[in-house]
Amino acid sequence: DKVRVRQKVAKVDPQEVADFDRELRALMQESLDSRKLELRSRPTINMMIPMNLFEGSVKEHHGRGTEGESGDEITDEGIGGSKEVQVKVLVKRGNKQQTKQMYIPRDCSLVQSTKQKEAAELEE
Amino acid sequence: EDTGGDDEVFEYGKGDFTEHACRYCGVTNPACVVRCNVPSCRKWFCNSRGNTSGSHIVNHLVRAKHKEVCLHKDSPLGETILECYNCGCRNVFLLGFISATTESVVVLLCREPCLSVNALKDMNWDLSQWCPLIDDRCFLQWLLKVPSEQEQLRARQISAQQINKIEELWKTNPDATLEDLEKPGVDDEPQPVVPKYEDAYQYQNVFAPLIKLEADYDKMMKESQSKDSITIRWDIGLNKKRIAYFVFPKEDNEIRLVTGDELRLRYSGDAAHPSWQSVGHVIKLTAQEEVALELGASQGVPVDVNHGFSVDFVWKSTSFDRMQGAMKTFAVDETSVSGYIYHHLLGHEVEMQMVRNTLPRRFGAPGLPELNASQVFAVKSVLQKPISLIQGPPGTGKTVTSAAIVYHMAKQGQGQVLVCAPSNVAVDQLAEKISATGLKVVRLCAKSREAVSSPVEHLTLHYQVRHLDTSEKSELHKLQQLKDEQGELSSSDEKKYKALKRATEREISQSADVICCTCVGAGDPRLANFRFRQVLIDESTQSTEPECLIPLVLGVKQVVLVGDHCQLGPVIMCKKAARAGLAQSLFERLVMLGVKPIRLQVQYRMHPALSEFPSNSFYEGTLQNGVTVNERQSPGIDFPWPVPNRPMFFYVQMGQEEISASGTSYLNRTEAANVEKIVTTFLKSGVVPSQIGVITPYEGQRAYIVNYMSRNGALRQQLYKEIEVASVDSFQGREKDYIILSCVRSNEHQGIGFLNDPRRLNVALTRARYGIVILGNPKVLSKQPLWNGLLTHYKEHECLVEGPLNNLKQSMVQFQKPKKIYN
Ligand SMILES: [Zn+2]
Ligand SMILES: [Zn+2]
Ligand SMILES: [Zn+2]
Repeated sequence: DKVRVRQKVAKVDPQEVADFDRELRALMQESLDSRKLELRSRPTINMMIPMNLFEGSVKEHHGRGTEGESGDEITDEGIGGSKEVQVKVLVKRGNKQQTKQMYIPRDCSLVQSTKQKEAAELEE
Repeated sequence: EDTGGDDEVFEYGKGDFTEHACRYCGVTNPACVVRCNVPSCRKWFCNSRGNTSGSHIVNHLVRAKHKEVCLHKDSPLGETILECYNCGCRNVFLLGFISATTESVVVLLCREPCLSVNALKDMNWDLSQWCPLIDDRCFLQWLLKVPSEQEQLRARQISAQQINKIEELWKTNPDATLEDLEKPGVDDEPQPVVPKYEDAYQYQNVFAPLIKLEADYDKMMKESQSKDSITIRWDIGLNKKRIAYFVFPKEDNEIRLVTGDELRLRYSGDAAHPSWQSVGHVIKLTAQEEVALELGASQGVPVDVNHGFSVDFVWKSTSFDRMQGAMKTFAVDETSVSGYIYHHLLGHEVEMQMVRNTLPRRFGAPGLPELNASQVFAVKSVLQKPISLIQGPPGTGKTVTSAAIVYHMAKQGQGQVLVCAPSNVAVDQLAEKISATGLKVVRLCAKSREAVSSPVEHLTLHYQVRHLDTSEKSELHKLQQLKDEQGELSSSDEKKYKALKRATEREISQSADVICCTCVGAGDPRLANFRFRQVLIDESTQSTEPECLIPLVLGVKQVVLVGDHCQLGPVIMCKKAARAGLAQSLFERLVMLGVKPIRLQVQYRMHPALSEFPSNSFYEGTLQNGVTVNERQSPGIDFPWPVPNRPMFFYVQMGQEEISASGTSYLNRTEAANVEKIVTTFLKSGVVPSQIGVITPYEGQRAYIVNYMSRNGALRQQLYKEIEVASVDSFQGREKDYIILSCVRSNEHQGIGFLNDPRRLNVALTRARYGIVILGNPKVLSKQPLWNGLLTHYKEHECLVEGPLNNLKQSMVQFQKPKKIYN
């Protein structure tokens, strides 16, 4: 049931954007400030990554549902559709650690850094 | 149990979406929505920007100053409150992702203080690329998906102003809905209808209050219509139920009684009888205004009393509830109608789509008359388009064309076809024609109308249930018989009976090719689980938009609206709602939006002389005659037509109009007397009463004519009693061989009232097959341009006459200048 609807270009009022941005920044700042006041002492670090996660490497992913090739042969540009990379999101359920697989766009800064590091390590 | 017995009650405005629908736009995709985790809020929002700079969830959090969210249980991460992996901070404005330096593992970490703890660097975490959860006023899209373009198009198009308003309202009333913002105050004029709507929510915001107004007015009118001192004539029906016959007087401005209506009959009691009351359904209305009421309970009826009863209306909200329900379904259920139809109905610019179906070689259907060229064209075009309009001027074979369309649709194997019309009469006619093609038809009647006799009795669901001849059904039949004999069943038997009956109804309905019912009937709970991809609505120009929507929201992909916007539209009783545009049909709005109706062009009803003026005035002269002068000559009928081959004349009347006894209507004695003379002349020349129809727009005149003819008629009283005297509106969709039209209005300075509506004039002029006589005052009527045109037409053809009926002479009466061009 594909329909093509000629859409009006949604007009966003610049005044509205400016107001909204101001409120958003204020909220961010207020959040930061309150944390600085609230937490005098540094928290203890509890960020161990479960060892069983350190296996396999970054997977390529083309579009949803298809399993991408591994390796870096294919460049990001030039091929239609955005390329995604598979990551494991680490979350806590109560005290249990859990990971869920997600796909993130390859151009996300999170991936970029990992890739650069990997590349650097390979060159060494 | 009756029509609405098992319907849920809809309260408009309380937009009950799926719980996790975005409270701004209604998007429900679990991958796209999060719940605000503030305990007093807990509302869901999506990650689309819509018409604002920030996404809906970010908009909400900023405006409400809320800071925590939880993902949906069916989202990729499952039900998860977003929080810092290290310290548990839940403020989304502080959260962001970091990744492990070597592995593809990411976690949420707060910016303050955890991000600035150096120890993390030593633990394989890369802190340099902290990636905030909210970026560019939107949640990270890989975590919280942005709804697809299609999803966004079907969603509510909320503006920044509306967001600000609703957020403000939520501060004092957390359960408020966007509809509360739009709801007009008690004394406000309602929002008027418009050609285009942003989305189905805006559509609902406009129509729901109008339907509410009409419902309130209808309720007020009906409940105030109690009549006392009613005289009853008692009878017993074939089903052994008590039937009360009585005359229920009516007036112009009051609601007409129709079969299926519910009335309460009361007797206040006397020395020999206790007070008594019972509710029943109207099963018959006679031409003499006599009502037949079938009573629900047969115990304790004071059948030996005949006088002093009272009658009240029992108002039912069923039809209005179903309209409100259909509008809600249209908005929140994206499977209710196809995307194409959704956008088209709302007036969005949709790229033209064709229906890919192999066309039949012949466009006619078995059991129906041969189709003419314009009918074939209509059938062919309709089968290829997802939305089409067919305009059927009077007598052009709308029903046959519709039946042929339905026949071909049913043969395409896309499931059952749903066929509707606003009135029961039209549904019956269609059901009959469609059945003639050999298709299996089920005519679904409201439960309150099961006792009303129907010309297609054998097609009705209740009849088929009773007469289904299989051994498995013997149990049901046994219980049915018991129920008929005893009037009621034991509660366990009743339960069993109901279950069996429901199962049988479903079985029969599911095996049909076509289901026929009224538009309101399409909201019957018995069809709740049915889906219809193809829907045809006849007489669609006589129903309001929300009424038309009821049959459409059952999954329609292809819709055919048949009607004629040059004839009378839906009757709206509440002036406020009518002024706001509730009387405009969906058909008309689609015409305004540029959908070109396919017009049927050959009329088979009127003598060619009678069709000439309507064709030129209402159909740009396109109406062709499918009947010849010879076929419309009535041999042996000796009637003093002024021009022998033109069976029509305008009979000049100068008698004054009067206010009727009720004070709310008009009558005209001279016209009434002349109507009697004309009727008598017809009868004497060999015309039978059933061939004659007397049309008058005023109830006062209608009652006066009926009365006058039966008292002063020169022939047997019974003959006059058999002649139908009725309003223009009640003649719509019907025909008579001879029509006498009494215009009534005759005054110096006032207007011509009902006759001002060109559509009413069109209907009045196009009911006759063989001949028409119009009685009126040309001096008054000629002020209106259309009437001026009609009078000129009659004069030019030497059919404007005066004098005694047996010596008619051309009238030289001067016309007035028409006021302005009618548009
Ligand atoms: Zn909230
Ligand atoms: Zn939304
Ligand atoms: Zn933290």
